[in-house]
Amino acid sequence: MSKKNDLLAKENAVQAILVAPTFEDEFLPISNDIPLCLFPVVNKPLIDYTLEFLSLGGVEETFLFCCNHVAEIKDHIKKSVEETVGWTLTMKVHIIVSESCRSFGDCLRDLDAKGLLRGDFVLLEPGVISNISLSSLLKKHSDICQMDKGAAMTVIFQECGLNHRSLCPQDETLVIMNSKNRLLFHKKTKKTSDKKVDFPLEIFLENNSVSIYHNLKDTHIAICSSSVLPLFSDNFDFQTKDDFVRGLLMNEEIMGSTVYGNILRGSNYGGAIHNWRTYQSISMELKNKWVHPLVPPTKKNRSIYEDSAIGTSTKVALTANICRSILGCNVVIGNNVKIQDAFIFDNTHIEDNAVVSLSVIGPNCIVKNGAKVTAGSILGKGVVIEENCLVEDSLVQQTKSDNSEDKIGPSAYRLRLEEDEEDIDLDKSLARRMSRLHIHEATYESEYESEDEFSESEDALSHIHSPPPDDTKLFFTEVIDSLTRGFEDKLLCDNLILEINSSRYAYNVTVKEVNFNVIKAILIMSGDLPEGPQYFSSFAQMLSYFAPLFNNYIKNLSAMTDCLQAVEEVAISGDFKDKWAVFTLKYLYEKDYLSEEAILDWFGTIKTDTKFYKQVKPFTDWLEEAEEEDSDDE
Amino acid sequence: MTNINFQDLSDVIRLISDIKHKNILSSHDIALKTEAMLEALIAQGKWTSASELMQLIKQRIKCISQSLPMEATAINVMRHILKVIREEFEVASEKKGESQSLQYIVTGASSNVLDYSQSLSSLQAALLDHLSEYKTELETSAENIAAQASEHIHSSETILTFGTSKTVQRFLKAASKKRTFNVIVVEAAPLYLGHSLAANLAKSNIQTTVIPDSAVFAMMSRVNKVIIGTHTVLASGGLRASSGIHALALAAKHYSIPVMVLSHMYKFTPVYLGSNDHEAFNDCASPASLIPYSSGQVLNKAEVTNAVFDFVPPELVTLFITHQGGNSPSYVYRLLSELYHPDDYEI
Repeated sequence: MSKKNDLLAKENAVQAILVAPTFEDEFLPISNDIPLCLFPVVNKPLIDYTLEFLSLGGVEETFLFCCNHVAEIKDHIKKSVEETVGWTLTMKVHIIVSESCRSFGDCLRDLDAKGLLRGDFVLLEPGVISNISLSSLLKKHSDICQMDKGAAMTVIFQECGLNHRSLCPQDETLVIMNSKNRLLFHKKTKKTSDKKVDFPLEIFLENNSVSIYHNLKDTHIAICSSSVLPLFSDNFDFQTKDDFVRGLLMNEEIMGSTVYGNILRGSNYGGAIHNWRTYQSISMELKNKWVHPLVPPTKKNRSIYEDSAIGTSTKVALTANICRSILGCNVVIGNNVKIQDAFIFDNTHIEDNAVVSLSVIGPNCIVKNGAKVTAGSILGKGVVIEENCLVEDSLVQQTKSDNSEDKIGPSAYRLRLEEDEEDIDLDKSLARRMSRLHIHEATYESEYESEDEFSESEDALSHIHSPPPDDTKLFFTEVIDSLTRGFEDKLLCDNLILEINSSRYAYNVTVKEVNFNVIKAILIMSGDLPEGPQYFSSFAQMLSYFAPLFNNYIKNLSAMTDCLQAVEEVAISGDFKDKWAVFTLKYLYEKDYLSEEAILDWFGTIKTDTKFYKQVKPFTDWLEEAEEEDSDDE
Repeated sequence: MTNINFQDLSDVIRLISDIKHKNILSSHDIALKTEAMLEALIAQGKWTSASELMQLIKQRIKCISQSLPMEATAINVMRHILKVIREEFEVASEKKGESQSLQYIVTGASSNVLDYSQSLSSLQAALLDHLSEYKTELETSAENIAAQASEHIHSSETILTFGTSKTVQRFLKAASKKRTFNVIVVEAAPLYLGHSLAANLAKSNIQTTVIPDSAVFAMMSRVNKVIIGTHTVLASGGLRASSGIHALALAAKHYSIPVMVLSHMYKFTPVYLGSNDHEAFNDCASPASLIPYSSGQVLNKAEVTNAVFDFVPPELVTLFITHQGGNSPSYVYRLLSELYHPDDYEI
């Protein structure tokens, strides 16, 4: 009797397709060694969450599609089955391997050829974590199919506030649905650089009422009718699910298929890890129980670490400061280590006094004494960062490969992705920057704005401090324009002086303002130099190029004061490194543009409680000491 | 070795997966399922001696406590069966009569420890007999509790209850056959399970009022008795009950209103509240029922905790009502020693 039941159940079994690889290079270099589906998410492999979700959601048969790292994934599944992990009792997992597939669409075409799916099924893009009950959604979808024979897919969205950390800018969608939840318009707004959206007029003419949503997050889960796979096979240009939705919406009449949407509310949660930012947000949300009943295995120790989770047998020194981070198993953290907004995978050692922030450190890495890993760096498996080394905004891997790269240490090579430097395609580089880790709180908004108003940033800088009269401002932009052009085309500085002087008369500005603005313009230009270890040398080069200008304008003590004020203003208003001010002052002092007397006088006027004061203090201290030594010598 | 182990445990994994998939919801059903599982285990007889059988059961207890740390019922049922095995073994080995000296009872003298690895042919039949008795006890437990209703609820009293509990519902319905009284139901945010209880009570013509959680203190002054259910009863006589009950019990204390807790025997757990392990005591559900996910930016900065349980200290509870009658919290230790063998408290 029970056997018969089993057979019956199998015929109507709820089926799901899970595509494991991402086909993108988002997770390089870590994804070279670990496939995305085995990434630890709060110390449990991602796929365990996905499979548990499918099983709890009522799925009985899952096709897991793999293209690379097949052996590891197979081993993992086999191990789970042997240990009879929760989902194994109610769900069967079939692993399908095809190494020739190059995109999500290829996988589905491959599956269509195999003819394994019988009826409606659940389609998951890589990295999905959710807690929704799929059976009720499947029922809704089949109800829709009863009314509309052409219904091909129900896309699942989750309601989500704007500026929510889990709403990765790339995922920001604009959706229009009619009263029957049929999708009429679907656009990922941040995937392109256009800032305008055009709605076809027919949407409003043909429907009595439509709802426009901009607060939705794509959960990367879809309920599909059996017609979806053949549609993928018929259209070879469908690479992703988004292509599919767009294609169907555009050619609705030709294909005779429609797409529906379903919006999740309440405690239903859905999301997918497809870049580092979503990795971060989903980890945090898992930790804060938003995906209940799927919970991470570790218990956090609230009293010691703010908003962090720590794996088993991890050793953390008492003096370490950990905040909003997740540490894997067997991690060793030394004294005075500072870890902020970071993810540290298993078996990694962070030695004394190191700083790790906004970064991901892969498995088996060593960050040595006093090293700094910051600003969205990703370290691959087994990387060793040498003592006192600074790694900023870079992808680092253990071994050398073909991509042009520079060496940081014996087993640390900076990896450059092809698009990064040469590609002028703004969309792509913007998308890449946005997909890195999310910065906490206030810093996020400012970053966000500066990305939006990229071209206007210079203007914005100029009127932060005591807005000068209009003419002066115009003069300033004029100066900046000529200097930038001059620097780029390597014009003679004498010609530049001539140009500046003529604009000075045109706008009728005083000598003081000329001195101030010219120096300020030069210094502001230093903000556009590429960041990195060579920053200061290229800065010095630029300053030496402009040497004639300094000679021409800084002639007396009052001009020096103007110059120092310009340094002060730029250092405070601009976003520079800590050493910037000291470097600039020292350079100008060594080249004799500024006298010791002028610097010390000016320094006396700075308020002692500002950050700038602290930055400059070491330099003036040094000046005073040098003076004393001089007098001693005499 | 490990492989075989996992194979053997398939029955308990099935139980865990049923609980996780919410195929069995109420603790009563879990208790019955667990009992059935053990009955099958004993009947299949893949064991030769009492110690082997006890080992099998202990493995299952460990398995459940690992994957469902909040689940007490299934473990308690199994723990009780362990005690049953010990007792039946003593009877079967006929040592009981000889060794029952006063000194043995007081000190539990180790000189006379039974050797459970001895194989006894009569044990299996005796156990199965006892289990079917236990099954009837489980099935009639709710009925027996309800039968005491008219002793506790008097005419025209006002009873306050919290959230929903099948036992409480049955208890109140039983009382309504003989008496007329008012019931105030606290709705128990954020799950609002009180609504369904109120609807069910109103259907059987009980005068019912639903109040929000915030009104508990205001209403308490006119209440005669508080009658609630609980998730578990701890060894100290304290409760692990749905969140909100601690506040309710404090309000009752303030007005000196008796708090009665209806509980089946399988809810008594020989576990104390660990002072340094509050997180393990509690369970956190999705914060979505407190603050919607769509509230956006504020969630980047706030960590919202939605605790499922409250710990209610024993001094706030007046009486436990089980199928055997009423007991005060200070008597819980005695009930526990009747239910479980001291060696099985920690597994």
